[in-house]
Amino acid sequence: MATGAGLITAFVLAMLWGAIRGAPRKASFRVWIVGWGLVFTMTVLGVLLASALWTGERIIARGDSVVRVQAHASRYKWDFVQPAPGGWPVTTRNVLYVPAGQPFEVEIRSSDVIHSFWVPRLGGKMDAIPGHVNLHRLQADRPGEYAGQSAEFSGPGYRKMRFTLIAYDPANPPSALIDAPAEKALP
Amino acid sequence: MTDIPPNKAQRALHLHRELDRVWADDPGLRGFFTSVNHGTIGLRFMATAFVFFAIGGVLAMLIRAQLATRKGAFLDSELYNQVFTMHGSIMMFLFAIPLLEGLALWLLPKILGARDMAFPRLSALGYFCYLFGGTTIVLSLVFGVAPDGGWFMYVPLSDKVHTPGVNADVWLLGVTFVEISAMAAAVEITVTILRCRAAHMPLTRMPLMAWYLLGTAAMMLIGFPPLILGSILLELQRAFDWPFFDVSRGGDPLLWQHLFWLFGHPEVYIIFLPAAGALSTIIPVLSRTTILGYGAIVAAILGLVFLSFGLWVHHMFTVGIPHMALAFFSAASALVAVPTAVQIFAWIGTMYGGQVQFRLPMLYIMGFFGTFVLGGLTGVMLAMVPFNWQAHDTAFVTAHLHYVLVGGFVFPMLAAVTWWMPMISGRWRISGLGETAFWLIFIGFHGTFLIMHLTGLLGMPRRVDAYPGNPEWEIPNLISSVFGMVQAMGFALFAFDMVMQWLFGRRSWRNPWHAPTLDWAMPLPAPSYNFASLPTPLHGDANAVLPLAKGQGLLPGAPRGHRETLVVDAASGRPDHVAVLARSTALPVWTAVAIGSFFGLMLAGLYWLAPLGIVATLVMVWRWGAIMGVERDLPPIDVAPGLNLPPHFHKRQTLAYTGCIAFLVADGTVFASLLFAVGFLSVIAPEWPAPGAGYRAVPMLFATAAALLSSAFVVYAARRAEGCRGAPDAAIWTRAGLCASVLALICMCGLAAGLDDPRRHSRDALRAALLGYAAVHGIVATMLALRADRDARTNRLGAERRGAIPAWRLFHQFWLTVTATGVGIVLAQEVL
Amino acid sequence: MAWMVRALAGPVLWATLFSGVYALHGLGCARGWQQQPVLWGDLHHMALWALWGAGLAGHVMLVRTMPCDQGIRRWLIVAGAWIGLVSSAFTLFPVTILSTCL
Repeated sequence: MATGAGLITAFVLAMLWGAIRGAPRKASFRVWIVGWGLVFTMTVLGVLLASALWTGERIIARGDSVVRVQAHASRYKWDFVQPAPGGWPVTTRNVLYVPAGQPFEVEIRSSDVIHSFWVPRLGGKMDAIPGHVNLHRLQADRPGEYAGQSAEFSGPGYRKMRFTLIAYDPANPPSALIDAPAEKALP
Repeated sequence: MTDIPPNKAQRALHLHRELDRVWADDPGLRGFFTSVNHGTIGLRFMATAFVFFAIGGVLAMLIRAQLATRKGAFLDSELYNQVFTMHGSIMMFLFAIPLLEGLALWLLPKILGARDMAFPRLSALGYFCYLFGGTTIVLSLVFGVAPDGGWFMYVPLSDKVHTPGVNADVWLLGVTFVEISAMAAAVEITVTILRCRAAHMPLTRMPLMAWYLLGTAAMMLIGFPPLILGSILLELQRAFDWPFFDVSRGGDPLLWQHLFWLFGHPEVYIIFLPAAGALSTIIPVLSRTTILGYGAIVAAILGLVFLSFGLWVHHMFTVGIPHMALAFFSAASALVAVPTAVQIFAWIGTMYGGQVQFRLPMLYIMGFFGTFVLGGLTGVMLAMVPFNWQAHDTAFVTAHLHYVLVGGFVFPMLAAVTWWMPMISGRWRISGLGETAFWLIFIGFHGTFLIMHLTGLLGMPRRVDAYPGNPEWEIPNLISSVFGMVQAMGFALFAFDMVMQWLFGRRSWRNPWHAPTLDWAMPLPAPSYNFASLPTPLHGDANAVLPLAKGQGLLPGAPRGHRETLVVDAASGRPDHVAVLARSTALPVWTAVAIGSFFGLMLAGLYWLAPLGIVATLVMVWRWGAIMGVERDLPPIDVAPGLNLPPHFHKRQTLAYTGCIAFLVADGTVFASLLFAVGFLSVIAPEWPAPGAGYRAVPMLFATAAALLSSAFVVYAARRAEGCRGAPDAAIWTRAGLCASVLALICMCGLAAGLDDPRRHSRDALRAALLGYAAVHGIVATMLALRADRDARTNRLGAERRGAIPAWRLFHQFWLTVTATGVGIVLAQEVL
Repeated sequence: MAWMVRALAGPVLWATLFSGVYALHGLGCARGWQQQPVLWGDLHHMALWALWGAGLAGHVMLVRTMPCDQGIRRWLIVAGAWIGLVSSAFTLFPVTILSTCL
């Protein structure tokens, strides 16, 4: 998409270059307004929009994933609740554990102002809004550590509102999850 | 039918002296406070806007200095938050909007062939509201209490819990105070374009600039009210704890986002349209041809005006709105690129069909193309939901919006300033300086912001004050900062160039660009009265300088010693009557002081004294009406041989009446936004349904019915009063209407006393807001009733003279309608 | 001014339809209409289709009504009608396929 935008910009500027050079010519309404202004633009936009809607429809959260975690944002920290391999919930601060290689869904909540859950390398962001629960679907293909951060300005400590997402190999869960004490089950 | 015979030629110098005596500002400092002339006010608006631009620019430099290194030890977090919030707020509210208002005020009468704007005193009032409000906002930075929640002030961050200080109040009250000037300008621009054109200039042959500004003004009338309402509601929550946005009591922070962006996105096009108007004006002249596709451009403006109201949710793609709803707005955001593309290709086609001359304004136009096209395309990218989720609130968005706003507004505006500077100063520029400034700005801009796209894609969020853990962002940020300084030098050089031209440029000859539009049909610099006589189809373009200066057009000179201009029928441009405009007066500045006293008392938290400010404002407003009538019939005015027109005192469809309609469109939009808030909260917000109503239903119903009935009687009384305006009975009916109006207000006070505590739940707060809205309009309608009654008793009514009665009727009908609608809403809530 | 009203009719209808569909969408999600099967779909989609279809029919009528004016005025009336139709078709076509409340 970025390449396309660059190409169109270059193309329009080249067209401009052609237009400002040379003697006066007959400028045709059909070519410039109808051809370029309407037909060309509508075609590009139609194709782009259709593909974006298609992608969007595939990546939205449907509430049917196996793994469901909770992200609770408050100034300036993230509290996560995630299932341990045994099924009981484990609470952590600023670290989120998810199994790699499968989609997971995050329930995002806020207890004070608006924040936004974002792990840039995994995908888009979703806001945490007081009074609302937002569902966001992501997937980490490979085990590893992914940096996450809040992406909605929340006051003086905003930039410190970072967290780490650790995607683990489902066959080999991290000790932090295994050794955690059993708590009451996830709602 | 359109042939109007020319007047007899007179000596131009004699006419000039006669007109200048009537139209010139008072001398010295007094003139600063009393001028109502559109030329003075327009230039003052633009100059003030550039001062705020410089302040905003310095803040931008502070931001760039802070981000140049990852430690960012330059400013602390609190100060940095104030700095970026103020940068955005100043550039939007104190630079962009006022600059376009100033250009419109200064240019419109000239390009349309009129002597002044429709409401000169309103221009001045708008200016002082802007000056006082803007100064307050900027001074808050000096005292360290500037707004610090980001320029879109999201709640809950900006509510009393999370911003206990006065910072958010400065923004809400200051910006609302400044918006008075935007609303004033919008009403004025609309009425001027519709009613103050040259004789027999139909809408369909207006200069394109007028179409663009008509679109802008229409968008301002509809676009600003949601923000004004949102600011009022948020201030009510901050000051009195009415929970419109408090989620625990039936409010919702998303309501703020909707109201803000309902304004915020159209705002982008409000800024873009006048700039595009300047492009459509300059490009054909500097290509030595006419514009390609006039009709297509007008249609594109029409499309833009509407479509831009269907995009606002694309600023809210990540708040958790269902995908289908996002898709509507995504599609609309893509579609809005079509009218924009039509214009771009029309401009390129125009240049293709002509011979482009590379004068200085053309350089800035090339700067526009090189910047705006890319900004538009990244905009289309951001309109796509999946990409938006990735790039939202990162430096990519910062880069995009600067490409759009600087490309789509600043470059064309700089072109416009260099274009009209000979008319402003009467002087020609000093060559070399302008070109250097352009290249510094252009290179500086792209150096700063092109790489910022990459910074954003690397994951840097906007509004962070340091990034110690991300060394990979440091190089691109440093590059941005260095080029930012280059850009700043360019702007400084531009300002220097303007001053040099003003002081030392050689005298410019008439119409230096050989432009066809009427604005160049006058001597340079433009005189205080614009045209010694007004243009007709015979003298319809820039070649008519001499005949117009010699008084061969309409309404030559100022033989009656009044400021007179021609008013035409809105669609056809047929001459209708002569408007007698206000002369220099200090009333606008005192009114702005009165309004400012209200805002100041609110800001200081002296809520129980604030009504004093309202009373002071009402007293001032009352005095505006004093010069709006005459006690005797006036003779018709000779406009041209065989064409006598009445002065506006004898007409019903006056400028003021058209202005009332335009104002009520905006006012109705405030009400519609309030209804949106009711609907949104009751459907979307958690913590609904609300607790049961605590008031006693029967007395409330009784008071409501009494208010509505007496209000309905006022409508009847006003109609009767207008019907017998020449007879003594009129005074009886105006008095009866006035009494009924007061009765309706008293009933509303009773209703207010019986309401549930607005702090309990957002439903009760919304009811109180509906009642407050009705009460405010009741007070204004009652003021108009009082004015009409005074008119009836002071001989200001006659067979043709209607005084304030038409405006009273119009406003009262509006009051009755909104009250009845509000009652209907509450009843529906109770029954359903 | 009649021609201005005619020229504005298409875009105004778009604005009305756009707000109407958006409001209906929000209302439907709040009331859980997407879970009530009706005919060959769910109540939510049906309601949205009905409203969209009615609006498009209105647009087609506007486009088919021949303007009796001439020159630029006629052109603006025709353009306004088409702007309305294309806008309504393009911006609201997501109602056809996408899932409603996810």
